[in-house]
Amino acid sequence: MDRTESPEVKPEVAARGAEGSDERAGHLGFVAHEIRNPLSTALWTAEMLARMTTQDRGGARGEKLSAMCLRSVTRVRQLVEDHFMCERLDAGGLPLRVEAVGAKEALDAVLERHPAETASSDVDPLLGVQVDRGLLERALEAMVAVAGAERTPVTIVAHATDGDVGFEVHGRRAEQAALADPTKGSPSDPSGRALAIPLARRIAAALGGGLTVQEGRWLLTVPRARAYTPRPAPAANP
Amino acid sequence: MTRPLVLVVDDDPDILDAICDILDAEGYRVSRARHGQEALDQVESARPDIILLDLMMPVMDGVAFSQALRQRPLVSDIPIVVISADGNPQRAAAVGAAGYLAKPFDIDALLAQVAGITRAPGEPRPGA
Repeated sequence: MDRTESPEVKPEVAARGAEGSDERAGHLGFVAHEIRNPLSTALWTAEMLARMTTQDRGGARGEKLSAMCLRSVTRVRQLVEDHFMCERLDAGGLPLRVEAVGAKEALDAVLERHPAETASSDVDPLLGVQVDRGLLERALEAMVAVAGAERTPVTIVAHATDGDVGFEVHGRRAEQAALADPTKGSPSDPSGRALAIPLARRIAAALGGGLTVQEGRWLLTVPRARAYTPRPAPAANP
Repeated sequence: MTRPLVLVVDDDPDILDAICDILDAEGYRVSRARHGQEALDQVESARPDIILLDLMMPVMDGVAFSQALRQRPLVSDIPIVVISADGNPQRAAAVGAAGYLAKPFDIDALLAQVAGITRAPGEPRPGA
């Protein structure tokens, strides 16, 4: 083809491109909105603290403002980390280390880090998934945060179907609309997990699975490992 | 003289806390609401002198709130200043706002807007 010649773009391809562009613009607008809120409180509380006398800063109001500032900065950090992970996954620039991993092993690691939100899990210890373990854990953590919002107890059940393993996340009712529209997901989440659903959706796709809503609960699906042998439990000290 | 009452409407609890703290420290009375419906429920019983309004909120967003407010004769004239993180001042015009502040705005810009609307000419700031 002549390099100066413009390739013909079929109308359906152009429409898909425009749709993708709208979705991306919407996503980035949401990200900016979510980051600006805690950034605002971090800046304001820091400025209020700076305007106070040393003595007042050590008082009750100073303590309250310091706590708010720290909470806001922590929230910004979580949003920034989630945002850049989403961007790297969108760009396909994240090297994956795919291996056979125990579904229960990965889930237990997540539950250990989030004991407050998670009531229980029910997973066969012999069930294996073919994934990048770090990414699977991040996706599960994100879904624990969404389903466990406002201290809702979370239960996760894993089951095998054909070539996949599905992690059913029971907790706060899942909304189908949140998959396409992040404002219907967890906006203004005080822990900074407003991007949890977009992140989990991208991770699931990168691992060859998906994130769906079934009967009001989240279902995170990833490929099943053909052969998985649980690691032997560490020997007890004599 | 009664200190001006500012109603802050935002779904983000940290934003509510921070703005209320700033205004309280300046001598204003403050009330708060987490969405438009909660704000509507209180404007007639405790009429604010100004409403600081976020746009993107659950239950009832800022646009729907402002439309509902304008339908109520007793409170339809309360000035609204939009405080938004969406970075689009056009949306403030759409709700007929008296002012627009894009988060994160400066504390002094907030105080200037509130004072400019609530203060009579020559009157000092509430905390001054």
